Amino acid sequence: MDNMSTNERQGQLIELRDVSRVFESPAGAVTAVDRVSLELPAGAFIGVVGRSGSGKSTLVNLIAGLDRCTRGSIRVGDVAVDQLDEDALARWRGRNVGVVFQFFQLLPTLTVAENVMLPMDLCGTARGAEARRRALELLDLVGIREQADKLPTALSGGQQQRAAIARALANDAPLLVADEPTGNLDQQTSTMVLDLLRSLAKQGRTVLMVTHEHDVERRVDQVIRLVDGRIGSPS
Amino acid sequence: MKPRWAKVAGDLRSERGRLLLMLVAVAVSLAAIGTVLGSWAILTRDIASNYLGTAPAEATLEFEGGVSDEVLTRARADQAVSVADRREVIAGRVRVGDDFRPLLLFVPERFETMRLNTFRPLDGAWPPPAGTVLLERSGLEMANATMSSSLRVKLPNGRPSTVTVSGLVHDPGLAPAWQERTVYAYATPETVAMLGESPTLHELRVQFASHPRTVVEAENEASALAARLGGVHQLRVPPPRQHPHQRQMETILLLLLIFAGLSLVLSSVLVATTLAAILARQVREIGVMKSIGATRAQLAGMYAVMVGSICGVAVLLAAPLSMLGAFGLSRVVSTMLNFDLTSRALPWWVLLVLVVAGVLVPLLFAAIPIRRAVTIPVRAALDTWGVGERIIVRPWFPVAVRNLLRRPGRLALTVGLLATAGALFMTALAVSRAWERNLEKVKETRHYDLEVRFNTPAPDALATTLQQTVEGVRLIEPWGFEPAALARPGAIDVVRTYPDRGHGSFSVLAPPPSTTLISLPLLQGRWLASGERAVVLNHVAFLQARTLKVGDDVALSIDGVPSTWKLAGVVEEVGSAGVAYLPSDVFASSQSTQGRSRLWRVVTAGRDDLERATVIRRLEEALSREAVSVETVTPFAELKTAIGDHVAVLIRALLALAMVLALVGVLGLTSAVGTSVIERSREIAVMKTLGATSAVVRRLVVSEALVSSALSFVVALVLSLPLTLGIERLLGMLSFLAPLPFVVSWVSMGLWFALLVVATLGATLLPIRRAVQLTVREGLS
Ligand SMILES: Nc1ncnc2c1ncn2[C@@H]1O[C@H](COP(=O)(O)OP(=O)(O)O)[C@@H](O)[C@H]1O
Ligand SMILES: [Mg+2]
Repeated sequence: MDNMSTNERQGQLIELRDVSRVFESPAGAVTAVDRVSLELPAGAFIGVVGRSGSGKSTLVNLIAGLDRCTRGSIRVGDVAVDQLDEDALARWRGRNVGVVFQFFQLLPTLTVAENVMLPMDLCGTARGAEARRRALELLDLVGIREQADKLPTALSGGQQQRAAIARALANDAPLLVADEPTGNLDQQTSTMVLDLLRSLAKQGRTVLMVTHEHDVERRVDQVIRLVDGRIGSPS
Repeated sequence: MKPRWAKVAGDLRSERGRLLLMLVAVAVSLAAIGTVLGSWAILTRDIASNYLGTAPAEATLEFEGGVSDEVLTRARADQAVSVADRREVIAGRVRVGDDFRPLLLFVPERFETMRLNTFRPLDGAWPPPAGTVLLERSGLEMANATMSSSLRVKLPNGRPSTVTVSGLVHDPGLAPAWQERTVYAYATPETVAMLGESPTLHELRVQFASHPRTVVEAENEASALAARLGGVHQLRVPPPRQHPHQRQMETILLLLLIFAGLSLVLSSVLVATTLAAILARQVREIGVMKSIGATRAQLAGMYAVMVGSICGVAVLLAAPLSMLGAFGLSRVVSTMLNFDLTSRALPWWVLLVLVVAGVLVPLLFAAIPIRRAVTIPVRAALDTWGVGERIIVRPWFPVAVRNLLRRPGRLALTVGLLATAGALFMTALAVSRAWERNLEKVKETRHYDLEVRFNTPAPDALATTLQQTVEGVRLIEPWGFEPAALARPGAIDVVRTYPDRGHGSFSVLAPPPSTTLISLPLLQGRWLASGERAVVLNHVAFLQARTLKVGDDVALSIDGVPSTWKLAGVVEEVGSAGVAYLPSDVFASSQSTQGRSRLWRVVTAGRDDLERATVIRRLEEALSREAVSVETVTPFAELKTAIGDHVAVLIRALLALAMVLALVGVLGLTSAVGTSVIERSREIAVMKTLGATSAVVRRLVVSEALVSSALSFVVALVLSLPLTLGIERLLGMLSFLAPLPFVVSWVSMGLWFALLVVATLGATLLPIRRAVQLTVREGLS
C-alpha cells in the first residue's frame, strides 16, 4: 500500500512506572498487575507471554487505555494515559491505538467495510466516499477486499480477524494492541495473521501482542514475560 | 449512511420485535393523549364561538310587575351596565303525541335588536310572525315537529292553543333539549298575548361593564344594580362565561388527560426497560466501540436516536389517530353542549405537544438505561467477567422467585408498570360502575312515577278524587312546592339559575313528613316531623349555605317572602337541584294554602314505562277537565334519562382509556418475559444438555411470569382503592356535588385478573417457542 509505506510512522515510546492493577471481587482483592515498570521501544513487535491468569490482558489493557491502573503512571508517546478522563481517553484511543481482540468483536449488524469505517466515523478522521475508499484499501492490505460488503457472520474466523486488524488500522494508529489474536484460529491462519502483524511493525508501528504461541520469541523483536503480575526473568 | 447510523439501523432491524412493542405502546398512549387534548382544544375554542357567542347575560333581574320602560332606560344608563335587554320566559307544556312535554317559551322584546342570550336563525322566519314560534333545533325530535307543523301548547293560563313552527334556531346558550327533556321555543310578545298570556316582560338581563370573572363578583355587581334600580324580586346569577355543562366536561376531560398521560408514562417505562434489555445484550459491542474511540456522548446519541426514531414513528402514527379521535370525541361532546363545531382542525399546539411529549418523555426515561450502559468502563464491558450481578437470593426461595430476584430493579419496574396499568384499569372500571350505581340511587331513593306541578295550588281534595277515579293511579300525594332562595338578610334573593330555569335552581318542597315516596339518605341530623318549623336541606342546597350547622336557623326566601326555619338535617339527593324540604302542614299554614298544593307525586300501578305512560295519559286527561293549571308533568323515567345522559359518553371514553392502559401493561409484561428468556438462553441450553425437556423449560418461564403477574395484581389492588376513592370523589363532587358511591367492583378486579392470566400465558408463548427451538449449541454460543 503506497501511502502507507511512504508515510511510515514512527511508533511511540511506551513507559510504565510502578504500575499496579488490583481487582476487588467478592472473593477478595486480586493484584493482576503488580508494580510493573518498563519501557518499550517505538516501532517494535513485542510479545507478551505468561501463563493464563498471569496478568497479560490486564497489562495490555492498561497500555491501550482500556483499563485504569490503581497506582503508578503510564505514558504513551507524550500522553500521560492515566491522566485522561473517560472521553479524552476514548478519543486518544481512537486515533492512537488499534485494538485487536481474541474473539474478533466485529459489530454483527454492520458489514465488514462498515466495521472498518466505524472508527473513522467516531473519530471524525474520514467520511463518506473517502472513508470507504480507505476501508477498502485496508481490507485489500489484509487480503479480504472481496468480503467488504458481507456481514461478519459470513466470514471465516481468519477472515474476521483480518477484518478486525483492518479496523484497528482505520485511523492509522501508531500503536497496535492485540490480545491473543490467534487464540481462536487454526495453525495456518495464525501464521498469516502473525505475518501481517509483523509487517505492520516493520512499517514503524509499535505492535503489542499477547500470545500463547510457543515459538513466539523467534517471531517478535522483544518478549515481556509475566509471572503472577510481575515481569519475570526471560526464560 | 455513516457507519454508526448503519449500526443503529441494523439494531433497529434485529430488535424489531421488542421495538414494535415500544412503538405500539407509545403510539397508543399518544393517540389517547392527542384525542383528549385535541377534544379539549376544539371544545374550548368552540365554547368561545358558541356559548360566549350568544352573549350570555351575567345577571337576570326579575321584577314582579315587569320591567318598565323607565327601569330599562335607567339600567341602560347605569355606569356598571354595558348591555341590558328585557325578556320573558314562560314555562308551559307542549303536546307530543299523546303526552305533554315541558316547554320553555323565550320571549325577547325584539328579535331584531336583542343583544343578550342571542340565538341564531337556521331556517324559516325571523322574527317569527304573530301566532308562530321558532324552535330550538335540539328539541325538534322531542317535540316531534318539523317546519310549519302545528304545536298544541298549554301555557300557565291552562287553555290549550295552537301555534305554528315558523322557523328553527340554534341556541348554544342552552343545554340540548333532548338532554333536559324540555322543548325550547321562541316567540314575540305579540304571540304571547295571542296565546292568552300577559305580554309583560319580567326579566331584565344585563352584562356588566366590569365583565365579572367569578360568580361572587357577578353577584355583587348584580346586587348593587338591583339596589340602585329598586323593585327587584329575585336575582339570577349563573356562573359567568360558563356553559351549564362546561365544568363537568372540563373535569372529565382533565381526568381522561391524566389517564392518557399516565399511560404515556407507563409506555415510557416500558421503553426504558426494553431498552435496558437491548443494551444489556450490547454491552460488549459498546465496549468495542469505546475501544475504537467512541465517546459516551456519541454512544448515548446513537441509542437516543434509536429510541427517538421509534418515538418519531409513534408520533407519526398517533397524529392522524389523534385527529380522528379528537374530532369524533369533540363532536359527541359538542352535541352534549348543544354546540356546532366550527372547524375540525386541530390547533397546531396539540401536534406540538404530541411531538414533544411523544419524543421527550420516552427519551427522558430511556436516558436512565442509556446513561448506565455508556458509562460502563471499557474493560468491564469487554470482560468475560461481565457486569456483576448482585445476588440477593436465598437458597430456600422458590426457583421462580430466585430467578426473578436476580434482577430486582427490573422486577420492580415490571411489577410497577403492570400494577399501575392494572390499578388504573380497575379504577376506570370501578369509577364507571360507581357512576351507574349513582344513577341507580336516583331510582332507589324516589318511589314515584310521576310529578305534576301546578302554576297555582290545586285542591288536595281533587288529588283524593282522582286517585280513586283514574284507573291505574295508586296514590297521589300532594306536596307543597315553591321556587325559593336562601335568603340573605337585607339583600335581594340571589339564585344561580341559568336561563333554562333548571340548572342551578333552588326550590322548597313540602312533603308530608311521613311520606314514603322518597327515601333520601340522611347525611346529618334527622328527617322532618309534622308540625315543627324545621327544614331539611338536600346536599346541593346545604353546600350553597356553606356555613350552616344542624340546629341553626335557615333563612329561606319563599317566592320572595323571607322566613326562618330550624335546620333538622341534611339529605343526599343525587341529580337534583337545590331543595329545602319543609313539613307540608307547617308550610301550608305559613303560605296560607291549607288544603291546596302545587305539586303532586303520583304512584301508578304500571309495571313498566309503557304501562305507566298509559296511566299518566289518563291522569292528564282527567286533569284537563278540571279547573287547574298544570305547569309540568314529569314522568320519573324522563328525570333519570336527563340525569344519566349528561356525561355518559365521557365515562365511556374513560373505559376506552382503561383498555389502552391494559394494553400497555400487557406489552410491558410481554417485553419483560421476552427479555428474561433471551438473557437466559445460555442457561436454558445448559439445562437442556443436562436433560431438561421443553416442558421443564416452559414451566420455568411460565411460573416466573405468573409470580410477577400475581405480585403486580396485589399491588394493583392496593393502589386502585385509594385511586378509585379519590376519582369518585372528584367526579361526584363536580357532577352531583356529592361523592360517587364507593363501589368495590369485583367485576373489574375479576376482569383484570382474567386479563392478566391470559396475557401472562400469551406473553410467554413466543419466547418459550424460541427458547425451546434453539439448539443447545446456539444457546451456548
Ligand atoms: N474483572 C476482574 N475482576 C476480578 N479479577 C480479575 C478481573 N479481571 C482479571 N482478574 C484477575 O486478574 C488476574 C489476571 O487476569 P488476566 O489479566 O486476564 O490474565 P491473563 O490475560 O494473563 O490470563 C487473574 O487472576 C484474574 O483472576
Ligand atoms: Mg488474557
